[in-house]
Amino acid sequence: MESFPVLLAVMAAAAFLCRVAGFTLMRLVPVSPRMEAALRATPLAVMAGITALAVQAGGLAEGLALASVVGLTLVLRSDVAAALLGVVVVAVLRWAGL
Amino acid sequence: MTRALFSADGFRRGARDGVPLAVSIFAYGVGFGLVAAQAGFGVGRAVATSAAIYSGSAQLAAVNLLQSGEATLWALFAAILVINARYLLFGATLQPWLWSAGPVRAYASLLLLGDANWMMTMRAIRAGEEDRAYLAGTGAPVAVGWLSGTALGAAAVSVLPRPEALGFDLMLACFAAAMMTAMVKSRLDLLPVVVGAGTALGIFQWFGPAPAIIGAGLAGAVAAALLHRGEP
Repeated sequence: MESFPVLLAVMAAAAFLCRVAGFTLMRLVPVSPRMEAALRATPLAVMAGITALAVQAGGLAEGLALASVVGLTLVLRSDVAAALLGVVVVAVLRWAGL
Repeated sequence: MTRALFSADGFRRGARDGVPLAVSIFAYGVGFGLVAAQAGFGVGRAVATSAAIYSGSAQLAAVNLLQSGEATLWALFAAILVINARYLLFGATLQPWLWSAGPVRAYASLLLLGDANWMMTMRAIRAGEEDRAYLAGTGAPVAVGWLSGTALGAAAVSVLPRPEALGFDLMLACFAAAMMTAMVKSRLDLLPVVVGAGTALGIFQWFGPAPAIIGAGLAGAVAAALLHRGEP
């Protein structure tokens, strides 16, 4: 096994490559209106994917907490407050044994 | 080409918005620090890992690999590439907006890119944010939280409550659900939501979480491109 600095450098290189490669390659792609629509849709699809996987992996507590986050965002009009409250909701539900 | 706005004001605005993210990332950092310490990392190595890789999911996978004792350099490199491949999408979606700040500022900002502040910045761009320093601003408090959380977790393994008990493992999903809800402005925006969720669940069954997230993003992008009708 290599020394720790070598391991760290290799891991850092992989992480750095991922950070800059998509950005750099995108410079070669002309941004048409159709491409712009695709780029606009990507964050929504990624966020929906993250949420869906969390609901599937979790139990009732996680599902209820994430549903309450969606509702709270619409009611409070603050996504950050809703997200933080979601963490509180899941902690309380788990504590209650759900 | 004229450079886009990149000001201290924009940085401060981002930093203010990033503070709630930083609180949650701090707790996640404590979680990573605990795992790293159990794997025999000292505080120094744990913090160095958090600074060099700067991605919780990739670091947890790397520590697991190292613990198995069978990690080669290539295995570590490949594992991080696969888990962090979503950053290719993050960078691509930021590019048209961020590139106009100039290469040095753009690449420096990318060093502070993470899941949570990417979501927050994409939402801000959609809402009309023009100042390119916003991204680095959201990243700054997150970086402080991540590194200090790692140090605390690695130093104080036995006395801290596990972040799971406090609900922080669901933090990223909570932010994703909330920002997704805030970003849906029209019925057309529901298309990537439905396509993304469905694709993620489908791919997860066969290939696990990292390909599921990338697949969700790509499927949402393709669906939106196919349905695009040319109106502004």
